[in-house]
Amino acid sequence: MSTNKQLALVIDLNVCVGCHACVTSCKEWNTSGSAGPLTDLNAYGASPSGTFFNRVQTYEAGSFPNTQTVHFPKSCLHCEDPPCVPVCPTGASYKRKEDGIVLVDYDKCIGCSYCSWACPYGARELDEERQVMTKCTLCVDRIYSETLPESERKPACVLACPTSARIFGDVHDPESDASKAIEERGGYALMPEWETQPANQYLPRSIMETIEAARNDK
Amino acid sequence: MRPQFSIIFFTTLAGMAQGLLFFVALLNIEEPVLSAPFLSMLVLPVSFMLLSLGLVASFFHLGHPERAWRAAMMWRTSWLSREVIALPLVMLLTAITFFFVASGIAPAWLWAALLISTLVLWICTAKIYQCIRFIQEWSHPSTLSNFILLGLTSGGLLLEFLLMLWNDPSVPLGMGLVSGANFILLFLALNLKLWIWRRNQKLKPQSNLATATGIKGDNIRQTSMGFMGGSFNTREFFHHQTDRVIGNIRKIILLMAYIGPMILLAISMSSSSISLIAIALLMHYIGQLAERWMFFAEANHPQNLYYQRVS
Repeated sequence: MSTNKQLALVIDLNVCVGCHACVTSCKEWNTSGSAGPLTDLNAYGASPSGTFFNRVQTYEAGSFPNTQTVHFPKSCLHCEDPPCVPVCPTGASYKRKEDGIVLVDYDKCIGCSYCSWACPYGARELDEERQVMTKCTLCVDRIYSETLPESERKPACVLACPTSARIFGDVHDPESDASKAIEERGGYALMPEWETQPANQYLPRSIMETIEAARNDK
Repeated sequence: MRPQFSIIFFTTLAGMAQGLLFFVALLNIEEPVLSAPFLSMLVLPVSFMLLSLGLVASFFHLGHPERAWRAAMMWRTSWLSREVIALPLVMLLTAITFFFVASGIAPAWLWAALLISTLVLWICTAKIYQCIRFIQEWSHPSTLSNFILLGLTSGGLLLEFLLMLWNDPSVPLGMGLVSGANFILLFLALNLKLWIWRRNQKLKPQSNLATATGIKGDNIRQTSMGFMGGSFNTREFFHHQTDRVIGNIRKIILLMAYIGPMILLAISMSSSSISLIAIALLMHYIGQLAERWMFFAEANHPQNLYYQRVS
């Protein structure tokens, strides 16, 4: 692992309640920030469509009565080896050396969508109105802001989360909260089979193990 | 994946031109088998026109066509970028060959360069798809073989049509022989396609909801993709057709791209006529449009795992 900084999010699936506050705060910040606008087409019509950097999905697992509902936030994972970057023909897609954030230069993007095909996670969305590829910026225009108060220099989704399910930090720094959470609570990567080495990781739910242990106890 | 008509037209039109140029270069590299007027008045202008049409079609794929020149920048890492360089290179070599042939004779090195450039363009085009490792239908050398073989079949049929159109008795190629060669190429292409379809059917997806979400437990299913409207993710990565439509298009591909033209070629081996070859060429091209459509439609993208249920 390189010694460079790699900023990332760690998502705690134990506490996400699926409220979508991260989705709306992400949209609000980024549609008006340097990554925007994230256009909505036909927003009040029968079939609306829009650009979002972050979604909260819901999954179920197990069989009744031992089922669990898992709310699952999903955004760009800022892979250490991002397959979307080398395929870009113009160099509009790039991974920053200084902090590992994967970004798109909207002035260079030709809107060919090839990078979105090369992302197994579906993390990139072509903005229909602007016809350029867009994606999570990890709120790069917030976290380095000199005008925002120090405490607000975090991604909008992290600040909005009411249950602190989103931990932001440098996953290459073993002392960061993000690294510690991964280390202590078994953080894992999505689709490890494609060896993209996602920087974002997820903390597995421990509630099922607790219930299982309680059952076995009696 | 959603079939992209700009790319369908680009790859089939350019592929046909590449096939034509490949055969013409191959025939003329040792000694000028095909006459200079035939080349300069028919073959090379037709090739150039097909390549140009393909180039125009490819622009319709872009959200910002005015920035297309930027796409040549990242040739070190991107096959798309390499294709963007290779296509004008083939066009340039076609134009240079035209000027040489029009004023006499084209040297062997030029024919060789043209031959190699058509191969390079096929490799670049196919590798764009083949290099995406998690689209398992594409990530296989058969993608390249299929692009080359179908370029050769359409180019070979076009050459046969142009030869009959020119109708020059000095060309030392028996039309029965050309029909036979095209028949064999189509037979090979058909077998490759059937093999690819069998392979696709047997593919086991390496990603599933367990790897995509990491949720522990059995019987994982999505209950909500997180939104009720549409998005890029729900449009771009799926063909949005029923199984029945897909099955019918498969039949059209077999009939139009392969079996129909093969029957016409078999007839033309004994009693050759230009209308027969014209129909075979037209059928084959329409069949190839459907084949290229299916190439996209049958590619399964793992991101679809995340977009299954609206609620």
